[in-house]
Amino acid sequence: MRPPLELLAPEESSRFRRAYCGLCHALGERYGPAARMILNYDFTYLAILLSERTEPDPLRSRCVSSPVRKQAYQPASPALELAADESVILAWWQLRDGVADHGFWKGTGYRAASRVLLGAYRRAAELRPDFDRHVRDCLDELSALEAEQCPSMDRAADTFARILQSAAATVDDPVRRRVLEQMFYHLGRWIYLVDAADDLREDAAAGRYNPVALRYGLTDGKWTEESRQAFAKTLDQSVHMIATAFELWDFGVWRPLLENTVYTALFAVGRAVLEGTFRRRSPKRREKETQEG
Amino acid sequence: MNDPYQILGVSENASDEEIKKAYRELARKYHPDNYHDNPLEDLAQEKMKEINAAYEQITRERASGRRSGSSGAYGGGASYGGYGGGYGSYGGYQSSQSYSGQASVLQQARIAINTGNISRAEALLANYPDHNAEWNFLRGAVCYRRGWMDEALRYYRTAVQMDPGNAEYRAALDYLEGTDDTAYHPGGSFGTMCSGNPCLSLCCLWALCNGGGYWWFCC
Repeated sequence: MRPPLELLAPEESSRFRRAYCGLCHALGERYGPAARMILNYDFTYLAILLSERTEPDPLRSRCVSSPVRKQAYQPASPALELAADESVILAWWQLRDGVADHGFWKGTGYRAASRVLLGAYRRAAELRPDFDRHVRDCLDELSALEAEQCPSMDRAADTFARILQSAAATVDDPVRRRVLEQMFYHLGRWIYLVDAADDLREDAAAGRYNPVALRYGLTDGKWTEESRQAFAKTLDQSVHMIATAFELWDFGVWRPLLENTVYTALFAVGRAVLEGTFRRRSPKRREKETQEG
Repeated sequence: MNDPYQILGVSENASDEEIKKAYRELARKYHPDNYHDNPLEDLAQEKMKEINAAYEQITRERASGRRSGSSGAYGGGASYGGYGGGYGSYGGYQSSQSYSGQASVLQQARIAINTGNISRAEALLANYPDHNAEWNFLRGAVCYRRGWMDEALRYYRTAVQMDPGNAEYRAALDYLEGTDDTAYHPGGSFGTMCSGNPCLSLCCLWALCNGGGYWWFCC
């Protein structure tokens, strides 16, 4: 997921940035500086969706990313803490998945990163044991589906969708919990499917399991026009579910950002992936771009 | 009791036309067609009732030339201007067929779906040996409720192929296939393949932070 910065008023972009930086601080304070490496936009959205309707007065400080100018960030809150804990657990299990999926040499990076994150993971798992267990169970289920080459992309996506859905399990208000669970489920489904679509060529070349390729019979990692349209529709059905849930809860100050994300940014990313114009930057390339730009 | 103006998101000084416009926009958003078979359909119905009641109260008060403050009685649910109506022939999973013996299992599955007991519906269907058109339709309904949209589509298609004359199955398939056309959108069009220029999103990708995380599932 990406924030639709070009569509937002400057104050809304700044609000997103304060949440992003707030989550970074929460990770650093709770789990040490190394845990900050797991920060990404998805986890920031998790924090925002779990946040209260109003934003607390921001704090300001310098950090590694902004060593000269003080940056405003959201102070610690139950939502940021929950998002930080759940992010560490998710990141840990994804790293372990990476270790399992790659050979000795290719898995080196994953092993090194998971070693760095081990202490943080242990603390987070102690704080959120139910979430930790659920993530582990769902990822085990996904591994089994991968091993049996499950041709149902819904079944495969369901494992990841349920992981995100459970991120709202501790929300007290029953209406809010239902709304968030529905949003998280379909965000999870959407993320999983978009990720699989983005990996089509790579997975075809490496002979790896890809539920989207299996579903539409794409052996060479290339879309047919018919399958591309059909896949776009199934993504849209999840966006529709996200949007209908979103409209049933008052998200307060976060509404403009979320509205633009739900009704515009998800479509834009999905379309870019389907047209092959979207690629994730590798960390090395991103670093280069940052230095250049 | 909430202020009806607040519910419609307008000021007390808004013109009749502005109020009507705000009401229509909200009614479009929470219309039953937008929440058809949605697991949160009940919450949307509540919203719709609230909006209808607020609009009725405002129009009543304005017609009588006074504003009675917050003393108006809520709990209405009446519709206005064609909104808030029922789901037509496609609602409620009413069994239109009757089979001897095993038919009751499918009826029970329908009831389970209607009451939101999806696990029970799934279990009933799993043990039902005759995978006829209705069975496929109900399996599709279970998948839809679960969020398995692609599976739902496949079951609905099979149901329609097996019984092309059945209006209920056709309506379910049409609704699912027509999401892009019927879904509420606050402006513009709804759909991945009709979204605007994706470069707009991507060009600002790294503008937000000069650092940040990278993960395999971050897209």
